[in-house]
Amino acid sequence: MRIRRIRNQVLKELEQFQRDRLGVALAFVLPVIALLIIGFAIRLEARNIAMAVQDLDNTALSRTYIERLYATHLFVAVPWRGSVFPDALDRGTAQVQVTIPSGFTANVIANRQSPVQVLIDGGDVINARVSKLAIEGVFLSVLQYQLGERSELGVVSQIRLWFNPGRRESLFIVPGAYGVILAVFPPLLIAIALVREKEQGTILQLYASSLSAAELLLGKSLAYMAVGLGEAVLLFIVGFLLFGVSVMGDPTPLIVGTPIFMLASVQLGLIIGIFTTTQSSAVQAIGTIKVLTAFLLAGFLFPLNSVAFPFSVFAYLVPVRYFIELCRNVFVRGSGWLGTWHLVAIMLFIGSIEFGIAWWGMRRMQLSR
Amino acid sequence: MGQGEYLMLQNPKMRLSSQVDMDASSPSNEATIRVRGLFKHYGKIAAVRGMDLDVRRGELFGLIGPDGAGKTTAFNILGGVLEATAGVVRILGLPARDARNLTGYLTQQFSLYLDLSVDENLRYSAGLRLVPEDQLEARQRKYLNLMQLDQFRDRLAGRLSGGMKQKLALCCALIAEPQVLLLDEPTTGVDTVARREFWDILAGLTAQGITVVVATPDLDEAERCDRVALLYNGQIQQIGTPSALKANLGLGRLVIRTPTLLQAEQILVKALKPDSQLVDVATLGDRIEVLVKDAQKGEVQVRDLLTQAGVTCDRLQPEEPTLENVFITLLRRKGSVPQLIPFPRSGRGNQSTASSPIQGRSPQAVAIAAQNLNRVFGNFHAVNSLNLEIRYGEVYGLLGANGAGKTTAIKMLCGLLPISSGYISLAGETGNLRSAALRQRIGYMSQKFTLYDDLTILENLKFYSGVYGIPPRQQQAKISWVLAICGLEKQSHLMTGQLPGGWKQRVSFGASVMHEPEILFLDEPTSGVDVLARQQFWQLINDFARNGTAILVTTHYMTEAEQCNRMCFMVAGRKVTEGSASEIKAAQPGQLFELQPQHLQASYNRLRTQLDPWRVSIFGDRLHIVLDHPETERPKIEALLKQSNLPFSNLHTVPFSLEDAFIGEVQRAGGGSP
Repeated sequence: MRIRRIRNQVLKELEQFQRDRLGVALAFVLPVIALLIIGFAIRLEARNIAMAVQDLDNTALSRTYIERLYATHLFVAVPWRGSVFPDALDRGTAQVQVTIPSGFTANVIANRQSPVQVLIDGGDVINARVSKLAIEGVFLSVLQYQLGERSELGVVSQIRLWFNPGRRESLFIVPGAYGVILAVFPPLLIAIALVREKEQGTILQLYASSLSAAELLLGKSLAYMAVGLGEAVLLFIVGFLLFGVSVMGDPTPLIVGTPIFMLASVQLGLIIGIFTTTQSSAVQAIGTIKVLTAFLLAGFLFPLNSVAFPFSVFAYLVPVRYFIELCRNVFVRGSGWLGTWHLVAIMLFIGSIEFGIAWWGMRRMQLSR
Repeated sequence: MGQGEYLMLQNPKMRLSSQVDMDASSPSNEATIRVRGLFKHYGKIAAVRGMDLDVRRGELFGLIGPDGAGKTTAFNILGGVLEATAGVVRILGLPARDARNLTGYLTQQFSLYLDLSVDENLRYSAGLRLVPEDQLEARQRKYLNLMQLDQFRDRLAGRLSGGMKQKLALCCALIAEPQVLLLDEPTTGVDTVARREFWDILAGLTAQGITVVVATPDLDEAERCDRVALLYNGQIQQIGTPSALKANLGLGRLVIRTPTLLQAEQILVKALKPDSQLVDVATLGDRIEVLVKDAQKGEVQVRDLLTQAGVTCDRLQPEEPTLENVFITLLRRKGSVPQLIPFPRSGRGNQSTASSPIQGRSPQAVAIAAQNLNRVFGNFHAVNSLNLEIRYGEVYGLLGANGAGKTTAIKMLCGLLPISSGYISLAGETGNLRSAALRQRIGYMSQKFTLYDDLTILENLKFYSGVYGIPPRQQQAKISWVLAICGLEKQSHLMTGQLPGGWKQRVSFGASVMHEPEILFLDEPTSGVDVLARQQFWQLINDFARNGTAILVTTHYMTEAEQCNRMCFMVAGRKVTEGSASEIKAAQPGQLFELQPQHLQASYNRLRTQLDPWRVSIFGDRLHIVLDHPETERPKIEALLKQSNLPFSNLHTVPFSLEDAFIGEVQRAGGGSP
């Protein structure tokens, strides 16, 4: 392996990359647009769930109860429509319907069972669960307030949110979005760069020289790792300016981890480039594999411990999950190398295995037929 | 006589390079490339079957053969990018793969990065092949100078003309100073002028001891090789110097000129019997060429036949057979020359001739007329005051270098491109050239391949027959005809993208004539097509012309242009000369001389110091020189060579080929490529 050949390859790739002005613009604009869309569009907190309330009791307690429900900021009031009972739910104008029967307050005071009917539209699983928990919580707290000193609960939990006390969603979404975006764009660029050599026939010139597979792959990887790092820095800056996400504590895990993640991320692009022959199939393969794994199997939005077998095993092989974890540590927790060294080590390991596969696919540097 | 001496006599260039040989300590009779029992199978298909080949140091070796003969496979194996199934390949004594750094390989597609500049391409190639960095700049300058590309160092490779691209690709291969160059059809898509220059460069390289193996579909080019191998069906059928191959053919060629070509052809074709002297009859534009077993006896027989039938013949002249004759004869013996299959015309068969628009038209009627045609792109005058008049039944050639305005002219004439100024009449129509009715009467086959690569051949043909509104009951017959002329009856379900270039072109031609156009525009229909397919192509073109179709064709190949009834040369958007092939050749000023120098390269270089570069070129072991004033210039040339101690022999005049005429016209008009 000759350093000079690798440098030669890197230079050529970068020259080609920067020659296409539109391509360069897209390589930097598209990730930023993706960050804006993901950062502004995804809202995990449930809000504005339409709720219709029928208060047949109409006492101080029942009105307090209803006020408390709306005070959670989860619900918006919609009118109770029609005479037929589940009308609003059926029409879809409300997702939650609450009916407080007459005699509600009397029952509470008399310490009798005091049923309240709550109907929740289970079509939206997440909102349904959130509504159910909220309504139960409100009911409990109203009772506690009403019964006051009569409460006999001895256990009190003192809950504190660490790292993100204000539960700012951007602190959760944006570092994850860094991982997703950097897992998609750099591999796309490198796969296209490799397949284009096949399409245009220039790859034969490489075969006809004594350039080795390792030299070729390293050259291409380094060039596109550099492009990917450029994208990463840009994303970090936009994330700081627009979403106020900044490095907490020791930045070195990020400085070391990002290039290593780039190495791992770009290798899959190479592998796909090696095993496809046209740009369109390479783009489709990257689009499907990278986007789906990055969104679903990397713990970006959905916790990984709820992923079903066998995908849960597969998820361990996705380098993005480790990078997302790393980003969340550096940008939110800031616990330094203590919580991140193993992530960097695993990404390096996966990257090396992937490089090995790419090398194996390319090792002959010959036409297969 | 030792073997070494024998070789030297056979190849005069060996003397020049013998000094280098001594330095390189390899004996001069050692083959640079040595191939024994080479086989390559792709699955069940054998592409190369038992090839043996020796190429000597400093040889310009030509590999010719039809599409699918195994040329590219052989090149890929020699270049070390493809593994052979069996056999031995040694380049400079090394296995091909280990010799990769001593070999330069130009693949059929341009081997360049079109989005990198000339310098960047060169630097990258140099880095790939580990050229010492302190020598890089010097070599870069040297080869760019040699190829006259030095003023384009910052230009993107994609913005160079075809000829310049190939010269740059050659530079990229040469920068590592290889000892062997493998060139797979390097001049496809390169215009005539640039092509001749490219071959001059190759001749110069072999003089420096570089071994060059080159494939070409153009047999005129192959004449310039030291030795040629005819490849067919994965095997070398014949090998030798072009003159030896032509001598071995054992046939004579007669050229007949007569005002009644058609009648004469019919008489001669009837006489094609195994016991007669005649072997082959072909009509080429303004003349008939006959291959005969014996030149003298054949001449007598032909003369008798024609006089008996009362056909006057202006000239009957025996000429040397060409490599093309050798090649076609070989393939005919192998039984692989396709037969002409008549086109299922809708006008024939049923009696009502009215259904065919061509029938019954006066043959003198003008099909395409253009007066003072101009096209300006920004401040670039692509076509400048062009006048044309093409009649029904005529094949008219539009010839010119790349960028001379041929494609622009053709696009305007068939109404695809608006004109800047001038007058066009197409099939009597002068106003709306894009009306559906008129489009139905013309056919256009563009330079770029117009079929869909991801449809099968049958799907493509069905699509185009639908586009041209061919009645369903005729569709089947026409599609079958297209498949038959392409020899693809059983392969109609193949993906079009998988076909070799030549076959694609044939299918494409078939698709563009299915609707029996009255006027046919063919823009470089035979680019990248092999000799066989080209010959068949021209039979088809002639068949259509005889049925009254007016045909306008552009081409780079001058051998092909000879088949046109009339033609014109275009230089920088202007028409510089017009006429039949014979008229144009006869109108050339001056004379063409051929001589056999002892020191080929040195004589070539010396002469080029005194004459315009285009006037001198290397043909095998001979030089061709064009002199406008032979009476005064010839003695000067002879004196020059004598003074410089460059002995030569056999100085004589030879007739101008159409290529010579073309290059002369283009250069005099100042339209040579940079």
